[in-house]
Amino acid sequence: MNWGAVFGAAAIIPLLNASIRLAVPTGLAAVGESLCQRAGVLNLSLEGMMLSGAYAAFLATHYSGQPWLGVAAGVGGGMFIGVLMALFSVTLKTEQVINGIALVLLASGLTSFLHVRLFGVTAPERFDPMAKLEIPLLGAIPGMGSVVFDQSPLVYLAVVLIVGVWWVLKHTRFGLAVRAAGDRPGAADAAGINVDRVRAAAILASGAMAGLGGAVLVVGQLGLFTQNVTAGRGWVAIALVIFGRWSPLRVAAGAFLFGFTDALQLRIQSASGGIESDVPFEFFQALPYLVTIVVVVVATARARDDAQPEALGVPYIRGARSS
Amino acid sequence: MDAPSTPGQRDRGSVAAGPTLRWRARLNSLGLSAAAIAAAFLLGGVLLALAGANPIQAYVDMLSGTFGSRFDLSLVLVETAPLLLIGLGLAVAFRARVWNIGAEGQLLMGALGGGAFALYAPISSRAVMIPAACLAGALAGGAWGWVVGFLRARWSVNEVISSLLLNYVALRILEYTIRKPLRDPVGFQPVSETLPDAARLPDIPGLRTHIGLLVGLGLIPVVAYVMRRTPFGFHTRMMGLNRDATEAAGVRTGRLITAVMVVSGALAGMAGILQVMGPESRLTGNISPGFGFTAIIVALVARMRPTGVLLASVLIGALTLGGDVIQRTQQVPRVLTIVIQALFVLLILVADKLARRNR
Repeated sequence: MNWGAVFGAAAIIPLLNASIRLAVPTGLAAVGESLCQRAGVLNLSLEGMMLSGAYAAFLATHYSGQPWLGVAAGVGGGMFIGVLMALFSVTLKTEQVINGIALVLLASGLTSFLHVRLFGVTAPERFDPMAKLEIPLLGAIPGMGSVVFDQSPLVYLAVVLIVGVWWVLKHTRFGLAVRAAGDRPGAADAAGINVDRVRAAAILASGAMAGLGGAVLVVGQLGLFTQNVTAGRGWVAIALVIFGRWSPLRVAAGAFLFGFTDALQLRIQSASGGIESDVPFEFFQALPYLVTIVVVVVATARARDDAQPEALGVPYIRGARSS
Repeated sequence: MDAPSTPGQRDRGSVAAGPTLRWRARLNSLGLSAAAIAAAFLLGGVLLALAGANPIQAYVDMLSGTFGSRFDLSLVLVETAPLLLIGLGLAVAFRARVWNIGAEGQLLMGALGGGAFALYAPISSRAVMIPAACLAGALAGGAWGWVVGFLRARWSVNEVISSLLLNYVALRILEYTIRKPLRDPVGFQPVSETLPDAARLPDIPGLRTHIGLLVGLGLIPVVAYVMRRTPFGFHTRMMGLNRDATEAAGVRTGRLITAVMVVSGALAGMAGILQVMGPESRLTGNISPGFGFTAIIVALVARMRPTGVLLASVLIGALTLGGDVIQRTQQVPRVLTIVIQALFVLLILVADKLARRNR
């Protein structure tokens, strides 16, 4: 096998460019999840939000031919699962782990059901993924320019959103309310913060970002939908929140690492020559998931500060106990 | 669901409830589950109607195609067998609030470990081969589950994440093994050779269901006994109610979590090898159409009770097969049944909350 095709000087810029591209869907979902967890909600429905967003984006783009309409639909699709998640976790205050997992299965079932119903066994025609937008001047910077500034417009949008979440969480009243709801919901309540409303808002925001992530996957990259197209990216995203110690920017850095591993394994697969090859390409397919597990282990084992929100996963019931 | 013990909520089915109270609570929750399941079928009917089918006819087809004849019943029980075994293990894990969602991977590793054993072990006696291969499968599945428990106990790595991600790793390992070392050299597809006769499961007399089902049935009272009457079961239930208090009471919860993961992984692994020795007859890349995920629903619908797992695994086994039936008769995609299964769980949550609020 030709390793130069993977790591050679000419290959490194496209590799890094692809890393950023592949990091975006997972990164958006992960940063949204970090907001949600900072508010105290362990949102395990993330994979379902991404999937629902991916499908809504696919349908809208397929029928309208307008990729940006698809992106908007993707946000809506993610928020649809978000509404359900908020209904259970905040209104009904059920066990968040259980309703989260159930919602993933619901999204998986619903999207597959609709897809088979609408298109049968014949796959619908692939549409062209959204074109890249090279930013003038910046794109001309040697090396770095073609890595960072020659991407789909959705990538730039994602970067803006990710930085936005970090800023909101750190510098706004709402961010303070989110952190209070996640660490000391009782105290937040006493200080006049409506914990339920803050948590519901955080879940919806997380749904919007995960749905957008799904939309980026379908509209910005693949141009098609297959059943369970997100392939565990939502779960990886939850792992990245732990890796990033609940800080949006560190979470985003983790997403880049995941994107890099994914880009690398795709490159190795195409260079190794398919089903008859002696290279155990399955190992490389498993690599993004293995790397995610390893980084979570390292991050958890080495963490000196306990960054996990104290009330994570605990439904807030007024007067239930002091916290 | 009554296992989660959010502070401030009343716990029915608590550790020390007396027998009468316990049975009343059980009947109560059985009624709530039945209502929720009925509501899920109702919503499923709406989806059927939207998909252009006649919902009543579809459900009639489903019923006659699953329980209408002894042959159909046999097929239902073939679906039930893995769900029952995996569901039992997950019921134990979820009771302890150890959220193992990696049963799919544990099943695949059990299939691989047990399958490799059955392919290579020079054993010609069925009475030796089948139990030995089951053991090998349980060991492999248990080892895969152990990884999750170890990571949780040693570095408090969230088990939801690690168990789920390991599913993908297990699938790739299986795919590699049947593409290279275990591949049938004359086959076109990447599959292993057919298992030797000694490793093929006979059918239960009078049915067309392999005897693997009996393993699950036999384990129901065992699991029930262990959960109710042994220190392991007591500590497991206690840890599910309050992990900190259990730790404070001197139970080494890390070790207990690992044990729970090994048990549920071993049962999933055994389900895997039984699929290989039963319906599949060889190792392939699609041994499981998601049994490990469906079994999550089984354990939750069963409210993590061993006898409940029996009822739930028959119900969901029948529903899965019923999906194939209505796909044939009503041209409705079979994945509709996954939607109905997810609704089971969500609506049981709703029913429990409404009941609690009105008390």
